[in-house]
Amino acid sequence: MLQAIEARGLAKRFGAVTAVEGVDLTLAPGEALGLLGPNGAGKSTLLSLVTGLRPADRGEIRIFGHPAGSEAARKSMGLTPQSAAFPPQITPRELIAYASARHGKRPDTDRLLTAFGLQRLIDRRMAGFSGGEVRRVALALAFCGAPRLAVVDEPTTGLDAATQEAFQSLARDYVASGGAMLLTSHHWDEIEAICDRLTMIDRGQRVLDGTLAEMRATMRINRISLVVDGAAPDWLPAPDTDGRRHLESADSDAVVTRLVREGVGFRDLLIHPLALKDILAHLRHEV
Amino acid sequence: MLSHLRAELVLAARILMRQPGFWVPTILFPAMLYSFFGASMAEGPAGIYALASFAVYAVVGVGFYQFGVSVAQDRETPFVLWQRSLPGAQWVGWAARIVVAMVVVLAAVGMVLLAGRWIGGVIPGRGETMRLLVACALVSVPSVLMGIALGSAVSARAAVPLSNLLFLPLAYLGGLWMPPALLPDSVAAISVWTPTRAMGEIAWAAIDGRAMPGRYLALLAGWTLLAIALTALAQARHRRAMFG
Ligand SMILES: Nc1ncnc2c1ncn2[C@@H]1O[C@H](COP(=O)(O)OP(=O)(O)OP(=O)(O)O)[C@@H](O)[C@H]1O
Ligand SMILES: [Mg+2]
Repeated sequence: MLQAIEARGLAKRFGAVTAVEGVDLTLAPGEALGLLGPNGAGKSTLLSLVTGLRPADRGEIRIFGHPAGSEAARKSMGLTPQSAAFPPQITPRELIAYASARHGKRPDTDRLLTAFGLQRLIDRRMAGFSGGEVRRVALALAFCGAPRLAVVDEPTTGLDAATQEAFQSLARDYVASGGAMLLTSHHWDEIEAICDRLTMIDRGQRVLDGTLAEMRATMRINRISLVVDGAAPDWLPAPDTDGRRHLESADSDAVVTRLVREGVGFRDLLIHPLALKDILAHLRHEV
Repeated sequence: MLSHLRAELVLAARILMRQPGFWVPTILFPAMLYSFFGASMAEGPAGIYALASFAVYAVVGVGFYQFGVSVAQDRETPFVLWQRSLPGAQWVGWAARIVVAMVVVLAAVGMVLLAGRWIGGVIPGRGETMRLLVACALVSVPSVLMGIALGSAVSARAAVPLSNLLFLPLAYLGGLWMPPALLPDSVAAISVWTPTRAMGEIAWAAIDGRAMPGRYLALLAGWTLLAIALTALAQARHRRAMFG
């Protein structure tokens, strides 16, 4: 099957700064890939290579088989940049009409309006729009050309909780109906809610890559916490400031059995699977 | 392609029309200056040359301000970057902006012609008007290119004061505000090397129906090439700054 994104050995420097170094990326239609990494890791730079806004120093990128930045690649793609700003004299409706015209499509304004909660804003000039309002417009614009690939850089930064959820459900529908989505995020729950796969980059390099399901399977670790009244056995860690003792184990049943067998006086037992954030920390530690 | 061009035209026109603080002075200022100074300075048969001078002044103003300033302001804004991610050729957007600028030029020149009729009592014949409009169209090309060079070379913050600093003295030096014959000798010596003088000479020759003066055509071509070279250099510098 033709990949939405197929990139090999991407590299990009800015003077002395190496922003991206030898990164491979693939993304299939009907799949969402999350890019994670600390500030300055190179996520936005990577997206600018994929969208063809900047030429890569090295490496090759194909978007549905076409070179990044080519007319065919741009036709199949929609972008929400990390920092979006629009001419203050223009209304969202006019922008949607403009972007649709450039894609050679009829504007599907009604659908975008409800999806991004723009009904009250649609005919207002954008001067004075709040940060979240601008963000909603920027997200709607990525979808106006009915793209087969959506590239969204920190889509929900600055959005209120309801709009974040609305975006997540829109993103899931988009991917379920065959769209490919590449997104960056600093929100673990957002990556968990939308993505099938994630790539973690740090200082321009890929440090981790895989499907969320695989990662969970290799990391079947539970986090156990409890309160012990009276004497505790040596194998239990000392209590935290909250009075609870925390431990991690691949076999939480065995831990509980042992507690009961040794007659430890415990209460308030909590057992959680590791959060994505902690799984990644573990996996990175192993790398 | 056509729907792309239409979309760019509508966008450029909307952005401009919704900034009356920008286009109203651009259109009215040359006619106003003509009414205050040009009309009274050149009476009788010379009046029509003053009219042509202020028409050229209007053209240069749009080139310098509308392009100089907007090129500097637009460079690398998030909006322009996002536009570059859309399908369609980049030049279509430029073409649209030039068309919109031409409309503004036409309006500004039209106001000068009206001021000539009402205030200066100068009514050029049909042939003279047509030749003057052709000269204005010709002169608008180097004006726009010089504006683009200016906007490419300096930051958005510097573009407005710098275009004032260049445009107003150039208009004076070029003999657009008063006939070159009235310029002091020292100024007249500089005048013959300015692009605005070349533009003026072209417009005056057009009024008379004379052949275009070769020396000034060459001078203007030189300035235009210089502007293109400056633009290319500045753009290469921005590309390096941006693309690493
Ligand atoms: N135009 C540029 N000129 C110089 N350096 C740049 C440029 N763009 C990015 N960089 C540098 O490249 C590195 C990667 O930046 P990038 O914006 O890709 O990070 P990011 O992962 O998106 O970070 P964030 O989470 O903060 O958005 C940083 O060190 C940044 O300073
Ligand atoms: Mg970023």
